[in-house]
Amino acid sequence: MLPKYNVLTQEQVEIIHNESIKILEEIGMDFEYEPAIEIFKAQGLKVEGNRVYFTREFIEGKVKLAPSEFTLHARNPEHNLVCGGDNIIYMPGYGAPFIQLADGSRRKSTMEDYDNIVKLAGASKNLHMTGGTVAEPQDIPDEIRHLKMIYSSIKNSDKCFMGSAEGRERAQDSVEMAALLFGGKDVIKEKPVLISLINSLTPLKFDERMLGALMAYAEAGQAVVVASLVMAGSTGPAALVGTLALQNAEVLAGISLAQSINPGTPVVYGSTSALSDMRNGSLSIGSPECALFISASAQIARFYGIPSRSGGGLNDAKIVDAQAGYESMMTLMAASVTGINFVLHTAGILQYFMAISYEKFMMDDEMAGMLLHYMKGFNFDEDGLAYEAIASVGPGGHFLTQKHTRRNHKKEFRTPQLSDRSAYEAWSREGLDTNQRAHKQWQEVLAKYVPPVLDESIDQKLLEFIAKRS
Amino acid sequence: MSEEIFAGLKQAIIDGDEDVVEELSQQVIEESINPVDAVQVGLIKGIEVVGELWKAGEVFLPDVMMSAEAMKVGLGLLEPEIAKLGMSEGDSKGKIVLGTVEGDIHDIGKNITGAMFTAAGYKVFDIGTDIKAEDFVLKAQEVGADIIGASALLTTTMSAQKQIIDYLKEKNLRDQFKVFIGGGPTSQAYADEIGADGWAESADEAVTLADRILAK
Ligand code: B12
Repeated sequence: MLPKYNVLTQEQVEIIHNESIKILEEIGMDFEYEPAIEIFKAQGLKVEGNRVYFTREFIEGKVKLAPSEFTLHARNPEHNLVCGGDNIIYMPGYGAPFIQLADGSRRKSTMEDYDNIVKLAGASKNLHMTGGTVAEPQDIPDEIRHLKMIYSSIKNSDKCFMGSAEGRERAQDSVEMAALLFGGKDVIKEKPVLISLINSLTPLKFDERMLGALMAYAEAGQAVVVASLVMAGSTGPAALVGTLALQNAEVLAGISLAQSINPGTPVVYGSTSALSDMRNGSLSIGSPECALFISASAQIARFYGIPSRSGGGLNDAKIVDAQAGYESMMTLMAASVTGINFVLHTAGILQYFMAISYEKFMMDDEMAGMLLHYMKGFNFDEDGLAYEAIASVGPGGHFLTQKHTRRNHKKEFRTPQLSDRSAYEAWSREGLDTNQRAHKQWQEVLAKYVPPVLDESIDQKLLEFIAKRS
Repeated sequence: MSEEIFAGLKQAIIDGDEDVVEELSQQVIEESINPVDAVQVGLIKGIEVVGELWKAGEVFLPDVMMSAEAMKVGLGLLEPEIAKLGMSEGDSKGKIVLGTVEGDIHDIGKNITGAMFTAAGYKVFDIGTDIKAEDFVLKAQEVGADIIGASALLTTTMSAQKQIIDYLKEKNLRDQFKVFIGGGPTSQAYADEIGADGWAESADEAVTLADRILAK
């Protein structure tokens, strides 16, 4: 395993921490949710209206209660995931309202897309879980979307998945459904199975919906990603360090709330900070600044001893083109080599989170595979040093007929899934670019995929629950 | 003398300098200089320059936004004076009530849109985020708006844009206001579907569209 790469000195991390504490003590943060305000009051913090003024002791004390790693349990225990430490978890993109098609057109996403992407993630060797809101099913009424999505995540794969963050009620529905799958709320309280995305409302606010969901999950012992998305230049300062301090303040405040509700609640330090393009205001996630935010976030979370979330195959491209590729590789690689643990948006994203593309999904899946291989680093055992092989070939000659070669290349080399390494003439017979190859590939994967069987009585209970709540 | 103040106001708007705009606007009032001219020859001329520079790619968004803010400060001081003197302010290009719909708190796109309208010489009434249909309409009636602009960034809140149109119909007010919609997940197709008068993908296109529709 390669060592994780740092972009800040220890002293610089501490400066950011202290700036964040200063923000929380002197400026404070707004929590637009009475139950959260009550909790902070009960903890003895100064509160004026919705404004909460934190103290260094409170924040540092609460942050210490968060586990440095935790296990997220899957329907198939082979897919259980450890979140934290040197582990990395890849998954599909989140929340995109559109599907970008291979022919360059764009349409609304549907429930069928949701099912398909869960299946593709289920089939992937490189994606560890199936994520959440992998496509916004616009053909399903809003009130029951979360139920249908959770059901699809359960039914179409046995990997870990995410719960709804759209307010307390939908979070509770998510918990109920997970409890049906895993044998009760007591069971999942001990063994977290859901993880959800709680966003601050930058700058320096949390709203009712997010806080309601956060509290429901913390009470049920489920994991939450507390994330801040600062758009530097618009919802945050046009300064990288200032943006990190602001993001950090918000995330620490959210984590302190989760730990106040249920000490030891599994939390993930989240960042999606990026910047606003200063010409037209659009969000830019495929930027070097975004890669710096990702990298610093990994390190800041490490400083607190909390697992981190950031990055992904992020880009501002409109179609699956070279821009989509080079930007995504920069941000996914930054996340991977700096030690981000939970990489939401690994696969499929285009258009600064507005669209998912099946073709991009396959391309990112390939990149994830490449990076997993890259991060394995070097093998220093006898096979790795390969002295015997070097000696037996000696000066001149070649290694292609060596036993060592035949045996060892399978361990040390990765075979690409999507990239083309054929000779020019062979390639030019079909002449397919990455987008076109990926288009064929996802259809093949989908056609072959058989979802793991779900116990019929559990299936029945889930469907009954959905019917009752619809 | 007043020429100098107008030139100063124009430059202060170009510089996005609220303080100077405030100072000079006060001076206009104190020295009983014609406030209509201060607006027309000073403030508006300045913001026009900024709008053009932005279109030419010579200034950035924060430049436009700060000029728009400074513009508001100037108008905030001079308009009451104009009203007090019973003068007419001259033609503003139009009035737009702008907000983010109920259930939605995304506001950067709306803020940019507002600034671009201000920079183009419109009067913008920004009513914030998470705004109910009836509050859009109440504000539009109160200020005699030409356009109601509604921003939605979530597929789940786009229906609230339709609610504004439905509400207007219900109250027999549909022909009183043009309704513009915008925000990431919206589209021309959706605007057509709900019967909105305008949709734009970006703030500057929104202004061009408003120019066209109000000119009719
Ligand atoms: C920043 C952001 C946030 C910030 C908002 C901060 C703020 N103060 O606005 C925070 C983190 C708080 C947030 C929260 C949420 N967000 Co959000 N957010 C975004 C993000 C990344 C950028 C939005 C933005 O500002 N873009 C830049 C501006 C300039 O663009 P714009 O708004 O489209 O505006 C331009 C045009 O559309 C037009 N325009 C805009 N308004 C108007 C109005 C009129 C009249 C006209 C003519 C034109 C016009 O002009 C503007 C300038 O050119 C988008 C993705 C994206 N790339 O858009 C997701 C996104 C919109 N969010 C999303 C989601 C899901 C959420 C949450 C539910 C997430 C969650 N689980 O936490 C919450 C919902 C909160 C709520 N109740 O509203 C999804 C929506 C998916 C869907 N189903 O529709 C998106 C697409 C991201 C994703 N893939 O998940 N979000």
